[in-house]
Amino acid sequence: MIANEEQASALVRQAPQETFVLNLGPQHPATHGVLRVKLTMDGEFITRAEPVCGYIHRMQEKMGENRPYAQFLPNTSRIDYLSAMTYTHAFVGAVERAAKIQVPPRAEYIRVLTSELNRISSHLVWWGAFLLDLGGFTPLLYAFDDREKILDLLEGITGARLTYAYFRIGGLYNDVDDAFLTGTRAFVQHMRPRLKMYRELVTENIILRKRLDGIGPISREMCRKYGATGPVIRGSGVPYDVRKCESYSAYSDFDFEIPCYREGDSMARYLVRLEEIAQSLRIIEQAMDKLPAGPVMAEKVPRVLKLPAGDYCYAVEAARGRFMVRLVSDNKEIPYRVKLRTPCLSNLSLFEEASQGMLLPDALALMGSLDLVIPDIDR
Amino acid sequence: MAAPVFPPLPGPDLLSLCSFPLEVADYALKGYHLNAIVSPDQVLNAAADLDRAGLALDTITGVDWLVEGQMEVVYDYFHPNTGLRAVVRTKVPRANPVLPSISQVFPGANWHERETHDFFGIEFAGHPNLAPFLLPEDATYHPLRKDFIA
Amino acid sequence: MEAQNDQILKDCAPFVRFGKLDELLDLGRANSLWPLTFGLACCAIEMMAAGASRFDLARFGAEVFRPSPRQADVMIVAGTINKKMAAAVKTLYDQMPEPKWVIAMGNCAISGGPFVFPGQYAVVEGVDKLFPVDVYIPGCPPRPEALIEGLLKLEEKLTGKRRWPVVKPE
Repeated sequence: MIANEEQASALVRQAPQETFVLNLGPQHPATHGVLRVKLTMDGEFITRAEPVCGYIHRMQEKMGENRPYAQFLPNTSRIDYLSAMTYTHAFVGAVERAAKIQVPPRAEYIRVLTSELNRISSHLVWWGAFLLDLGGFTPLLYAFDDREKILDLLEGITGARLTYAYFRIGGLYNDVDDAFLTGTRAFVQHMRPRLKMYRELVTENIILRKRLDGIGPISREMCRKYGATGPVIRGSGVPYDVRKCESYSAYSDFDFEIPCYREGDSMARYLVRLEEIAQSLRIIEQAMDKLPAGPVMAEKVPRVLKLPAGDYCYAVEAARGRFMVRLVSDNKEIPYRVKLRTPCLSNLSLFEEASQGMLLPDALALMGSLDLVIPDIDR
Repeated sequence: MAAPVFPPLPGPDLLSLCSFPLEVADYALKGYHLNAIVSPDQVLNAAADLDRAGLALDTITGVDWLVEGQMEVVYDYFHPNTGLRAVVRTKVPRANPVLPSISQVFPGANWHERETHDFFGIEFAGHPNLAPFLLPEDATYHPLRKDFIA
Repeated sequence: MEAQNDQILKDCAPFVRFGKLDELLDLGRANSLWPLTFGLACCAIEMMAAGASRFDLARFGAEVFRPSPRQADVMIVAGTINKKMAAAVKTLYDQMPEPKWVIAMGNCAISGGPFVFPGQYAVVEGVDKLFPVDVYIPGCPPRPEALIEGLLKLEEKLTGKRRWPVVKPE
């Protein structure tokens, strides 16, 4: 019997501090795929968050070892299906680098053009889904509407909406037509006012600011220790972008900025991605203005491709960060080893440390701001 | 459209900072700037040196050389400010593949080493939790070995 | 008396219908199939696009994706089923209350998709290895229109009638 308040306080003080384990996923609306996070919770606060991966492991690296180089192209699109063009770019770039195949300039420009369109569509999906996690349903519909315009353009030249296999070893398989170029110009004109609307409607919304300002701070040192790249490191004050640091393809011909914010919180990563959409529009316009004439496929690409023995790598700036393909060859038609260095694995690996002591909804805001696509982690 | 060959490292020269020999590689062909081959027990010192120089861990790759009876582990590092890329390689015997873990120096290596262990069976001594990462929790097989039969 | 009854029925016909309760329930179920959010991989994005503004599953009553299996009617398996994930998928299927249906969306859910190769160790070759499937939608990934067509086929399976006419290619 508790006689008075003193006894009650004494009982509460003696009560053991209990934590319980809450399972987030693998089926969950906010984990963006099949990610399971074992959360050890102290009430509403997370004491330990342990991501468990492997629920969508599709043996991509093993598949690289049992088919010729050109047959691996469909796999590249499905590693990170939202920025599929950039992933195919890394693979064909690695093979071209090793085989010393010279890609014609028109093909390089079109590769940049389509990769940037793909980057915009990936950021739009991220934006819609992130706001869905935070509780706002409407931006998803606007984002997907804009994204459909990009998909129409890309479907016209590649034939696919999501998993394009547009690039080939040596160039592209299909040239762009006038309909694509006029449509892209119209899209750029359409998208700029939409970005302004998104800023007024969502970014400057007090609810979003309260949800994201100061939430989930990630320092530069943490990014370095975990190898985080992409908007995660750019939102922590380091302007690391593979398009500038290890400039590949035709990116050195274009004038664009790397958006970088110092605060390192979820709002900084959010602003980095929205600003990247604006910069991508700039690159697209420049690419269309300066598009050179010529063939889109290199001339002497051998039918049976054998790379000289050794290892070769090629890195691109995908929508989520640095994606690198490392090919190990033993002078056969089939690669000896295909290693895929994916950005989301490194980005998620800091979640355990970064989410300690956070409230669960804030931890989900942090996870959404990391922009994860789980097949990218599991491959 | 030429890629930068050897971006300068801010601060003291990287080659003199490291206690192991680094050679310059052909970036245009290989995709990395510096390459080093070390013995398995030097891996931890190499990681510490590169950490002090300000590099970040990119990834850890395992390669199974069945014919030579060795497994190669390739550590990729990059500098977040300049984009400088350094690669450290080591080889371990296939019958007893053991390497020191670098997860104390780079916490990001924790998952990379777990994945390499999953796929190849390489033991990383000193790793806090070498449980299967991408494979089911009770998996005992190592699928990327060249003699793996499903 | 008979003639009088017939006359009453004919007069009421514009606003009173008679039918079997089963058919009515089937019509209700078909018009409001609530899917379980079960996007696993790439097909999930096309499923989201089908629910978004252009393709609009809301027209067919199916836009409320329920995260909880207890509240869902149809499980749209969109993506590859892994051996590690198979137990979770089966648990979700068992947790759904009857009547329930399954749509296998995409090649991976139908038969393992592009990830089947000799020596494969991680992929379950098709969701019908785990539980029965009602509608198969091929594609990699299938277009959102294909998903809508699959839902209409499921409605046809439920009610025996097809709600919308089949679009003929021009």
